[in-house]
Amino acid sequence: MTAAVEFIDVSCRIGNQPILRNLNLSVAPGETLVLLGRSGSGKTTALKLINALLFPSEGEVRVNGAATVSQDPIRLRRQVGYVIQDVGLFPHFTIGRNVGLVPELQGWAPGRIRERVKELLETVGLPESEFSHRYPRQLSGGQRQRVGIARALAADPAILLLDEPFGALDPVTRIELQDHFLALRSLTPKTTVFVTHDVQEALRLGTKIGLLNEGRLELLTTPKGFLSQKGGVAAQFLACLSTGEVR
Amino acid sequence: MSPALVQDLITLTIEHIFLVVISVFIAALIAIPAGILLSRRQPLRRWLLGLTNIVQTIPSLALFGFLIPIPWIGGIGKRTAILALVLYALLPIVRGTLTGILGIDRAVRESAVAMGMTPKQLLWMVEMPLAVPVILSGIRVATVTSVGTATIAAAIGGGGLGVFIFRGIASVDSTLLLAGAVPAAFIALVSDGGLGWIERRLSPAY
Amino acid sequence: MDRTKTIACILTILLFLTVAACKKTPPLSVGSKNFTEQVILGEIIAQHVIQKLKINVEKKLNMGGTLLVHQSMESGQIDVYPEYTGTGLSSILKLNMTADPQGVFDRVREVYRSSYQMEWLDPLGFDNSFVMAVRRNDSDVQNIATLSDAENYQPGWKLGIGYEFESRPDGMPKLNTAYRLPFNGAPATMDLGLLYKALEQKQVNMIAANATDGQLSKDTIKTLTDDRHAFPPYQAALVVRGKALETYPELRKVLLQLSGKISAETMRKMNYAVDVEHSQPAEVAAGFLHSAGLQ
Repeated sequence: MTAAVEFIDVSCRIGNQPILRNLNLSVAPGETLVLLGRSGSGKTTALKLINALLFPSEGEVRVNGAATVSQDPIRLRRQVGYVIQDVGLFPHFTIGRNVGLVPELQGWAPGRIRERVKELLETVGLPESEFSHRYPRQLSGGQRQRVGIARALAADPAILLLDEPFGALDPVTRIELQDHFLALRSLTPKTTVFVTHDVQEALRLGTKIGLLNEGRLELLTTPKGFLSQKGGVAAQFLACLSTGEVR
Repeated sequence: MSPALVQDLITLTIEHIFLVVISVFIAALIAIPAGILLSRRQPLRRWLLGLTNIVQTIPSLALFGFLIPIPWIGGIGKRTAILALVLYALLPIVRGTLTGILGIDRAVRESAVAMGMTPKQLLWMVEMPLAVPVILSGIRVATVTSVGTATIAAAIGGGGLGVFIFRGIASVDSTLLLAGAVPAAFIALVSDGGLGWIERRLSPAY
Repeated sequence: MDRTKTIACILTILLFLTVAACKKTPPLSVGSKNFTEQVILGEIIAQHVIQKLKINVEKKLNMGGTLLVHQSMESGQIDVYPEYTGTGLSSILKLNMTADPQGVFDRVREVYRSSYQMEWLDPLGFDNSFVMAVRRNDSDVQNIATLSDAENYQPGWKLGIGYEFESRPDGMPKLNTAYRLPFNGAPATMDLGLLYKALEQKQVNMIAANATDGQLSKDTIKTLTDDRHAFPPYQAALVVRGKALETYPELRKVLLQLSGKISAETMRKMNYAVDVEHSQPAEVAAGFLHSAGLQ
């Protein structure tokens, strides 16, 4: 089975600043890889390399078997769902249009888009009749992030990228949305790369955890394997759990 | 006021509005694309904005002096006056467009790109709609200042309410001065109000 | 701080000197309107009087418009200033203009004497009325010297005029009643400062100028003689308060030395020196007095 996403000796510099060094990893179809790391460890950069927002300085990133540099970036991005912490909903579009945007870009028929929007909003727990015609400004932070997830899922992408999607939410809402995420995944499994600095979130959501430190992959293991780490950066993250530091 | 004066007043007022509308329209046709271009080319930004800034500081008579010898676009009359007014109106519209586009939330732009929007779709579906209120306020500033500056058109035979003002100064006749200045102020107020209203109407409901 | 003190000291001393001077004889006060030609003429009067009469002279140049300067004469704040016959007749006396220079001069002299006790001295020698100017080097204007000649100009005149010429009854309307000039399109009305530029750049081929404009002294421009006297005379002359003539018995004789000494050409050159070459009016005035042999 070919990997859905594969990093081969990837280095990435922005300006003269090296961000990632010799990154090698692969994500199997249906797997959820959580990239865990401190701020500035290069996790967001790794994510942007997947949907061609950035390109590697050296090495190659392959998505569905082909290098990103050799693919049409517009087509590639439309097959990859993307959720970011700041959500980035279009303030001038209604919730309905926001969710249905990628299908719209792909030229779906209006009726089919409406169906899909309704289905997705129900899935993320926002009744269509109540929310579809509102504007993003009229929603709470948690509701907005649900819309963000629904929007990323709209065209049923094979790959889902999430960049600290729940980072700005209060702890209760965050747990709620994590539960939602798990429920969605059991419903329609997708290859997912999830970036976070929250070790608890990583353990909860990942089928695999990749630990990034200063642009290098320190560790790539299962949650269980991660918990058994005794030293290094992994131990620092685990220490957060025992001190009760939830973030 | 004599009937002849009233007749002149109507003609010159219409001429004045024509000068302003056509100049702001042409300026917008140039300045909006220029603003969009500048939002993408940072190095270009400084010197082009600098250039429009400099144009703004050239006294109108000096500008006319430069423009008279230029074939086709220069000379005497409305064309030169409009050219000068266009040059003066560029800056606020370029600035409005640039500020409008650069002011868009980074997350919004990033997710638009990540969703697979082409540069064109990004511009027309996201950047332009979101920048419209700021662009419009640039156009409003350009229009209101143009109503004032358009009085200098009379200095180069371009007509407009400036004719009354120039005649009034030449013949020390304050009635003529007021006949030029009052309608110009009125046009400025009305266009400010009107464009402000459109701006509010086009500012989205979100 | 020091500089302020110094200035204050100087001002105080000057004030005392002025007061002291006042006690002897009141100084002669020279006025002028607020444009270049008037300021130059004011300087000429002041410098000339100081040299010849050795009396105190107070300069109040650049005062304002015609009306303000006239009122200052009436109230005795100034004693002498340069005025134009046409302006005196139409703006001050509100009388009808005529084309005859001598007639206009006699009229203002007579009425000023009886109504204001002011004296018009003999004209300085130039007439600052409207004048039509063309490009000297255009091959087809070589035979045109007068406005009557200009009536036969085949290509037609593209006329450039200022707003004053357009709106004054003794401007454009007079030109049209006295001459039948063939026009090529409606006249272009513009700012005075742009008229010469427009003529040079061949946007127009005839302009309505003022006879003593500094720019007219350029040899690329020639003026056409107003052979049918369409434009009323604006002869420049000095107007003096009768009181001042009594106080200084020599004043009339000294001022009359200026009469007839300033031709239109001379005045143009002086205006040109100040307006275009940015010389100081006082220097230009001194230069004139020197070259006219009055020094």
